[in-house]
Amino acid sequence: MDAVLSGLATGFAVALDPFNLMLVLLGCFFGTLIGALPGIGPINGVAILLPIAYGLGFPPESALILLAGIYYGAEYGGRISSILLNVPGDAGAVMTTLDGNPMARNGEAGRALSLSAVASFAGGTFAVVLMSLFAPLLATFAVTFSPADYVALMVFAFASLASLVGKNPTKTLLGAVIGLMLATIGIDANTGVARYTFGIPDILAGIDFLIVVVGLFGMAELLTLVEQQVSGKLRTLPVDSSFVRMTDLARTKWTILRCSVIGFFIGILPGTGASVASAVAYGTEKRISDTEGTFGKGDMRGLAAPEAANNAAAGGAMVPMLTLGIPGSGTTAILLGALLMFNIQPGPMMFAQRPEIAWGLIASMYLGNVALLVINLPLVGLFARMLTIPQHYLTPLIAILAFIGIYTIVGNPFDLLLITGLGLFGWFLRKLDFSLAPVILGFVLGGLFENNLRRALSISGGDWGILVADWKSLTLYGLAVLVVVLPIWLARRNRPRPEGAPVGAGN
Amino acid sequence: MADRIFAGVLLAVTMAYAAIAFTAISAPFQYDPLGPESWPRILAVVALACIAGILWKPDTEALGIARQVWFRLAATVLALIAYAELYEPLGFVVATFLYGTVMALMLGAPRLRAAGFGLAAGIIGYLVCASLLGLNLPLGELVEAAFTETETATEEEG
Repeated sequence: MDAVLSGLATGFAVALDPFNLMLVLLGCFFGTLIGALPGIGPINGVAILLPIAYGLGFPPESALILLAGIYYGAEYGGRISSILLNVPGDAGAVMTTLDGNPMARNGEAGRALSLSAVASFAGGTFAVVLMSLFAPLLATFAVTFSPADYVALMVFAFASLASLVGKNPTKTLLGAVIGLMLATIGIDANTGVARYTFGIPDILAGIDFLIVVVGLFGMAELLTLVEQQVSGKLRTLPVDSSFVRMTDLARTKWTILRCSVIGFFIGILPGTGASVASAVAYGTEKRISDTEGTFGKGDMRGLAAPEAANNAAAGGAMVPMLTLGIPGSGTTAILLGALLMFNIQPGPMMFAQRPEIAWGLIASMYLGNVALLVINLPLVGLFARMLTIPQHYLTPLIAILAFIGIYTIVGNPFDLLLITGLGLFGWFLRKLDFSLAPVILGFVLGGLFENNLRRALSISGGDWGILVADWKSLTLYGLAVLVVVLPIWLARRNRPRPEGAPVGAGN
Repeated sequence: MADRIFAGVLLAVTMAYAAIAFTAISAPFQYDPLGPESWPRILAVVALACIAGILWKPDTEALGIARQVWFRLAATVLALIAYAELYEPLGFVVATFLYGTVMALMLGAPRLRAAGFGLAAGIIGYLVCASLLGLNLPLGELVEAAFTETETATEEEG
């Protein structure tokens, strides 16, 4: 407990620095702004803004605070297009449309937006509090992990990814392997041998993480927008002056609490982010409280449930990222990559070696949640105006932002062609129902996975038995089997499948 | 069908990847038992297994894209390539103006407004990013040439 309190003190000292405080606010504001753009989910928003934030040359803790603010803000902003347009920005927001859009159509748009802001705030804050209690504990435990245990942890991460994300486990696994394969390009750090570089000097150091992220997410998003292009404006529902009331909160308080718990723990599972959490939360809540059959017709609880779970999962996903170095979702994989760019290896040692970064980030999330609530309640009308930006200006704007971001890294025009190619590849993957989150997870974890495997075998002198020699590794393999077998068994047992069945991509 | 074609392409790429892993990659000397080649080999095997699974049981029949949409996508990609190629020679402002205008026109914006959008994106984008945020954006060879000429001229004078 002492460690938590002194850690939080360190963290708030960093986060309350006027410059960092301003960055939290700016990040939340621009995150919400880009999250509110129709069809652009948080992961794409973070991907497009990441290189620009990186290019500004801030110290690492400030840059991370800015990015975390953008991440949080984008999660918040996504609900605006879900509620007013019925267009979810990403898979995690699909559940929000189910009851949020009917509420807006019933003339309660303002009420729906403010209720979802409060539910998000509650879920997010709940997750941050749990995180500041759990993360140091987990980190202390994780210090004892050997390379072999890390290998087991990765296997568990990819197993839960394959089983819980996407419709087709084979495709999800293949996506992750494609990410791992992309990560092998470049000079092998242990021996200095060049792998898959074909003598192209631009990729000797490996394909830059930012290029993969912007290409696979930002540019693929652009192509999707062009493909589904609707001319002119989308029709949005007006924001009225109705507002959330105390009785609404009283009615939804247990829903919010339940779903925050569900969201947080699903968020912790590696690979599964807000999409699975909100789906499970909505399904559970429907089973528990939908006695009159009002879910799907504009029930407040149906709106509060996924919103609370969504944001709790966003916080939960940070726990394995900060303590183990294994991101809990696609978006946290991007944040992990950002940490690596600043030469900070996330993991158990981060709390001991760079407390100002670990705790500063946590403290900035407390502030970010409050900031979002404060920004969102009065300014929601402004963010809603973003929805009316015509698609024919929005689409080129994405490319312009992406190009600025990528060009500013090293000023190499070859990178611009690379993101275009990766964008095309990502678009094909999306069209064929591959989710992109596993690819980025594989790419980020590739080096870590390989290095730990090689380290483990170096320790044992080439004996593969070391991988299953420890109870920690064995437990993790057991969990990996469980996470694959359990959903299949559950699906067999209660067919037809409940509505809360996992869908879509993690974000 | 679409699945099978894509898996076929991936198969070819993975085969090449595997071939390189099994034959070409080797370290002159190494300290760890695995070396640089084992990990790509493992990945290649797993990837081939997954691809075989998809070829055996595909689940996406067709992409469901009209021919017109294919043209639009191709044009988008071409525009992006052109934008990337012209980025340094023409400089950010001019390249962005051209790209923004062409894309907005293609996606159905009115003519004058598209040009206005392109111009605004180029100039405001440059002012905000290069001047205000201090990011590195290309000025363009033409503009740069003009600048260096005046510079050398002043140097010669001095």
